[in-house]
Amino acid sequence: MIRIENLVKHFGKVAAVDGISFSAKNGAITGLLGHNGAGKSTCLRVLYGLLKADSGKVLLDEIDVLQQPLLAQQRIGVMTDAHGLYPRLTAREHIAYFARLRGMSEEKIAQRSQLLLTQLGMQDIADRRATGYSQGEKMKVCLARALVHDPQNIIMDEPTNGLDVMTTRSVRSILHELKTANKCVLLSSHIMQEVSALCDEVIVIAGGKALYQGGLEQLLAHTKESNLEDAFVNMTGAAL
Amino acid sequence: MKPWLVVMLKELRDASRDRRALLSLFIFPVLGPAMIYFMFTKIIDLGEQVQDIELPVVGAEFAPDLMDFLRQNGITIKNLEMDVTAGSFSASVSTEVLAAITKRTYDFALLIPTDFGTQVTESQTVNVEIHHDSSRPSAGIKISRVQSLIEAWGRETTALRLLVRGINPSLIRPINVGRIDIASDQARAQSLLNMIPMFVIMAAFLSGVGIAVDATAGERERKSLEPLLVNPVLRSQFVLGKWFAAAVFSILGLIMVMTLNMVALSNVPLEELGISFNIGPTEIVGILLVTVPLAFFATSLQIFVGVFAKSFKDAQVYIGLMSLLPMLPYMYNILNTTGRELWMSLVPMLGQNMLLSDVVSGRTPALPDFALAAACLLLWSLVFIASAAKLLKRERIIFL
Repeated sequence: MIRIENLVKHFGKVAAVDGISFSAKNGAITGLLGHNGAGKSTCLRVLYGLLKADSGKVLLDEIDVLQQPLLAQQRIGVMTDAHGLYPRLTAREHIAYFARLRGMSEEKIAQRSQLLLTQLGMQDIADRRATGYSQGEKMKVCLARALVHDPQNIIMDEPTNGLDVMTTRSVRSILHELKTANKCVLLSSHIMQEVSALCDEVIVIAGGKALYQGGLEQLLAHTKESNLEDAFVNMTGAAL
Repeated sequence: MKPWLVVMLKELRDASRDRRALLSLFIFPVLGPAMIYFMFTKIIDLGEQVQDIELPVVGAEFAPDLMDFLRQNGITIKNLEMDVTAGSFSASVSTEVLAAITKRTYDFALLIPTDFGTQVTESQTVNVEIHHDSSRPSAGIKISRVQSLIEAWGRETTALRLLVRGINPSLIRPINVGRIDIASDQARAQSLLNMIPMFVIMAAFLSGVGIAVDATAGERERKSLEPLLVNPVLRSQFVLGKWFAAAVFSILGLIMVMTLNMVALSNVPLEELGISFNIGPTEIVGILLVTVPLAFFATSLQIFVGVFAKSFKDAQVYIGLMSLLPMLPYMYNILNTTGRELWMSLVPMLGQNMLLSDVVSGRTPALPDFALAAACLLLWSLVFIASAAKLLKRERIIFL
C-alpha cells in the first residue's frame, strides 16, 4: 500500500515533481504513465528513499518514508531503471548478495533463489558469471534480486523497457502472480500498450503533476476518446 | 551477518576474480623486493670490481716499466697476443679489439705503441690508447682507475726527467689535490636499507587500490550503485565493508612485500658490506604494528577519492597522483637535519617512515611513538571513511 500526498521535488530551480498525489492499492498493479521527463523516476526515487522530498508526504504501509527510510526500504522490492550487475558474479550470487544485505537466513536464501530462478526461467544462467548476459537475462537477475525477500510492495521503473516478447511475457506472469498474492505493485512506463495490458489502474503524469488516477475504461470515458493512446495524448497535450 | 561483513565478503570474492585487482595486489610486492635484491648485489659487485681489475693490453712487452707500475698498484695485466708488425694503432689491431669489445670478451683494452721504449728514452710525449665502450657503465670505474694510474706513472716520469736536468719537479707542480672518498660500500648499502620503509608504504598504497576503486567509482560506473543503495542498510555499513575489503588486500600486499624483502636480503651477502641485518620475530611484530594502520589509512583515502570521483578514469588519475605520496616522507627523511621531533609522529606516513627506519636499522622505537603514530593514522582514516559515507548520502553522488 503506497500513498503519496502533495510531493514536491526540485532540482535546482526546476520542479521535477510539482505536487503529485496518488495511491497504489494492495492486490493491484498500478501504472505511472508519462512522457520521458514527466517526473516518474523522480517520484519513484523519493519513494524508495534515494531522493529527499522538498515537501509532501510519502507513506508506505503507513510508514513515513521521509522520516524512516530504512524501515520503509525493508518493505519494498525495487527494480531501478539502472540495471547494473557485477560482471564477475553469477546470477545466484547476485540474488544472495542482496538477500544477505537484508539479513535473510542462508536456508531461506537458497529456497527463495531456487524458486525465483525457476519462475523466471533462469536455471541456465544461475551459475554463469554476468559478463555477456543479454538484456533480458540482466533484467531477470534484477527482478529476482528485487523480489528475493518477498516484499509487500514492489516498485519498478520501466520494467519491460527494451525486452523481447518472451522476457516481457515472463515479467508479466510474475506481476500477475504478485497481484494474486495481494502485493502492491507500482510500475512506471511510457508505453501505452504496456500499461493497458498490465495495469488495473493508471496515473497519468505530465509536467510533474498527476492529471488522472483511475481505471482504464474510466480514462477513455473521461477524455471521450476510443483508444488509450489518443486519451493519453489528449490529456498530456492539454497540460503542456 | 552484519551488513558490512556481507559487503566485505562480496567485494573480496569479486576482487579475487578480478585480474586488475589481483595484478595491483601482486605486482609491487614482487617487483619491490626484486629491485632491492638487484641493487644490493650490484653494490657488492661494484665493490669487488674496483679491487680486482684485469687489464687487457696490446703490446705490453714494449712498456715493461709501465706494466710493472700497474702491477704494483694491483692491476692484473693480460697481454693480448696480436700481430703488431704494422704498429699497435693499425687498422687491423683496432678492428680486432673493437670486435672483442663488442662480443664482450673484455670491456676495454690498453694499446701500447711499438716504439714506446724509444720515445720515453728520447723524452718525447708517448701516446697510448684505451679502447672502450662508454655506454657500458660497469667498465667506467675500472677505466678511470687505470687512467689515473697511467697518469700517475706519467707524473713520476716527468719528475725523473726534470731531476736529470737539475730542475726541482715541484716547479711544474704547484698544487696537488688529494681526494678521499669516505662513502664506503657500507654507507651506500645503508642508504638502500633506508629505502625499505618507502617500499613498504608504497605497497600499502598499491595493493588495495584495485579493490578500492572498483568498489566505489567502479560500482557507480557500472550502474550498480542505485540498486545497491535501495537495500535497507546504513551508508556507513557499505563504506565500511568496502574499506575493510580493500584493507585486507593492502595488508596481504604488506605481508608479501615484507616476506619477500626478508628473503631478498637474506640472499644478499650483507656481511661483505659490513652490515648486520638481523630481523627476528620481535622486529616482524614491530613492522606489522607500524604498517597495519598504514593499510587502513591508504585504503580509506582511496575509498574516499573513489566515492568522490566522477568516473573510474577520474579516480585513477587522482589515485595515480596519490601514489607519489609515500615518497614524500622518504625525501623528507633524507633532507631532515634536525632529528626527530614530536610533531613528526603525528604526520601520516612520516611517523611510520621513521619508525620503520628505526626497526630496519636495529633500533627499537619507544612505545609512545608507536601508539601516537598509529592513533593519528587511524584517526585520519576514520575522517576519510566518515566523509565518504556522508558523500554517499548526496543525491548528486548517487545520480551523477
